Amino acid sequence: MPKLTIDGKTMEVPKGATVIQAARAAGIEIPHYCWHPGLSVAGNCRICLVEVEGMPTLQIACNLLCADNMVVRTQSEKAKGGRADVMELLLINHPLDCPICDQAGECKLQEYSFRIGKDRSSFDFPKVHKPKHVRFSDKVMFDAERCILCTRCVRFCAEVAKRDELDIVNRGDRNEIAVKRGGELENDYQMNVIDVCPVGALTSMDFRFKSRVWFLENAKSVCSGCSRGCNVTVGSRWNRVLRVIPRENPHVNQWWMCDAGRFTYKGNDADTRLGAPMIRKNGALAECSWDEALDAAAKGLRDAGADLLALVSGRLTNEEMWLAKDVLAHLGTPHRDVKPRAFAKDDFLRTGDGNPNSRGAALLGIAPGTGGSGLTSLGSRAFRGAALFGEDLDDRPEALEALSKCGFVLVVGSHETETSRRAAHVVLPGVTPFEKDGTYVNVSGRVQRLARSVIAPGEAWPDWKILGALRARLTGAPAPRTPADAFAEMCAASPAFSGLPWNGLGEHGADARTPEPAGAAR
Amino acid sequence: MAYVKVKRRKLTFAERTYVAPIAKGMVTTLKHMLQLGGTERVTMEYPEQKWKLPDRYRGAPVLVKDAAGREKCVSCSMCEYVCPPRAISIIPGEIDGPVEKAPKVFDIDMLRCIFCGYCEEVCPEEAIFMSEEYELCGQTRAEMVFPKDKLYAMGEKFGRDGRTKDPVKKYDRLVSEAAAQGLDLTK
Repeated sequence: MPKLTIDGKTMEVPKGATVIQAARAAGIEIPHYCWHPGLSVAGNCRICLVEVEGMPTLQIACNLLCADNMVVRTQSEKAKGGRADVMELLLINHPLDCPICDQAGECKLQEYSFRIGKDRSSFDFPKVHKPKHVRFSDKVMFDAERCILCTRCVRFCAEVAKRDELDIVNRGDRNEIAVKRGGELENDYQMNVIDVCPVGALTSMDFRFKSRVWFLENAKSVCSGCSRGCNVTVGSRWNRVLRVIPRENPHVNQWWMCDAGRFTYKGNDADTRLGAPMIRKNGALAECSWDEALDAAAKGLRDAGADLLALVSGRLTNEEMWLAKDVLAHLGTPHRDVKPRAFAKDDFLRTGDGNPNSRGAALLGIAPGTGGSGLTSLGSRAFRGAALFGEDLDDRPEALEALSKCGFVLVVGSHETETSRRAAHVVLPGVTPFEKDGTYVNVSGRVQRLARSVIAPGEAWPDWKILGALRARLTGAPAPRTPADAFAEMCAASPAFSGLPWNGLGEHGADARTPEPAGAAR
Repeated sequence: MAYVKVKRRKLTFAERTYVAPIAKGMVTTLKHMLQLGGTERVTMEYPEQKWKLPDRYRGAPVLVKDAAGREKCVSCSMCEYVCPPRAISIIPGEIDGPVEKAPKVFDIDMLRCIFCGYCEEVCPEEAIFMSEEYELCGQTRAEMVFPKDKLYAMGEKFGRDGRTKDPVKKYDRLVSEAAAQGLDLTK
């Protein structure tokens, strides 16, 4: 365990740690471009220069192993001067087209130039020009002029995505990044190169020129694409979600997320969004007030009673599942199920389970009860009523056919679907995971907070509010006023969540209480 | 408070005929008509006659194009960010060529604008200027939200007397520099 001093702070670090890691752990920031905590050390940008006592020249902190009795100075005149010179060299051929560049506002080059750089260049010659809009794929755009050749993207593809697709071509000041053999980026995690790029060389085709980043309202949330539950930052403006980018969580996704997860926001402001509750009158759905719709829904549920089939979506939050389960317990029906949803599977982040909260459903017991039937029995058995909480059967035509023959069908959902059009007697407009607060349990049992980033259209209610109101009508139990109320109620009653604090879940979540069942997929 | 009854002075006969006061008034009128000493005209025949504006007058903000007729604005949204009353709203768009970006929508709500000139101050491309235009009127609120075309038309009128300063040829330089290095940026 080497013991060293950085800027007067003495610390003991594990053997093999580098100076930049030690400084970071101690809260001392050393500027860096090519170094990334999740990637190997390249040591090519030279911006992390520090002065080390007893060494004749400045050293790069990212590739310097900590040694006993080492004395490091990050803020000495010599170190600062060295970094300012490196900044100037990095900017020699940089186009400085910040007004056009999408990275502006979250660009390390801007930040360090402002903080540690010089205010002018001593380089008098024309800059080297390189191609400005090279499509690496239909998701990633490359600008060779802005690139500082830190090779983070090259290393990401080779080390994390395990597809060695990028490389540096040409020589000297004509160096640029290129896709190997002139192809396109193909790996399913390629958009992470946009996030690791410290400058504006790699930008998103999807987010391209949509908004400047400083206008975005950022919500720290969880991806609803699959049961991994990658931590994300959702950027929105004009009450529209504009991008989803990964957020660091060492317990779940480290720094990464898959490309499919970034596009989960598509359709959030589709024309098919439901904005008002509806009741079927004379064969056609007609808009009505919430009271009217809730009364009709409660009556329909009560009439169906123990012969009600309930589909609870694996996209609902724990609180909503808990409220749904409470409603079903009161009706006395054992027929409850979660519709499985397929998703791509690989040995990195994607789990193959498209329900973000299937683990929560398992912990809360959303599965056919004793003597109960599930989704597969629809068609072979007639039910008096059916309730679809956040779910649809558009992808299962036979089940939908059987559903439309039920005496009463309640559909709670965010979008208009074939199911709501054909089968529903009462439609209650819910919201998408971008429009509500709540918690999800990921595949490895981590309880994580979902945060609202935009406001739902029209008169749509968050599903927890709908379920709370339904429960109040059926049982007289008070409706929770906030998702935190529902969470507290759930934690008090359900051993898997006992004692978990709503506000104490923090940015990284907390593990659910029950030990993981043997053989569960990680 | 009790009221006080004011006693009016009784007018004399000469006063009651009103001849002398009218004559006195006519003299003043005549003096102005004939522009005699101490009576120079202070009113202006607006709108036929316009006010001569001070050099640094800040009228409506307008957009200008460069000498080659290209939009200078690259929709960096700095003006939108700095605008104190949030009068400016921009939706950026992609264009062909080396500049890549230009505003798809650029609206200034002239009812909100407070003519502070921050937009002109902050613009990194010298694309927005405070013009001499102060006649801003309309029948509806919507009419007072000036779209991009209108702002460019106003800029055209305003730019004629050389007030938009230098004809920026930044991107011509970029393209010719790149061409000298064997790279065609115009594609």
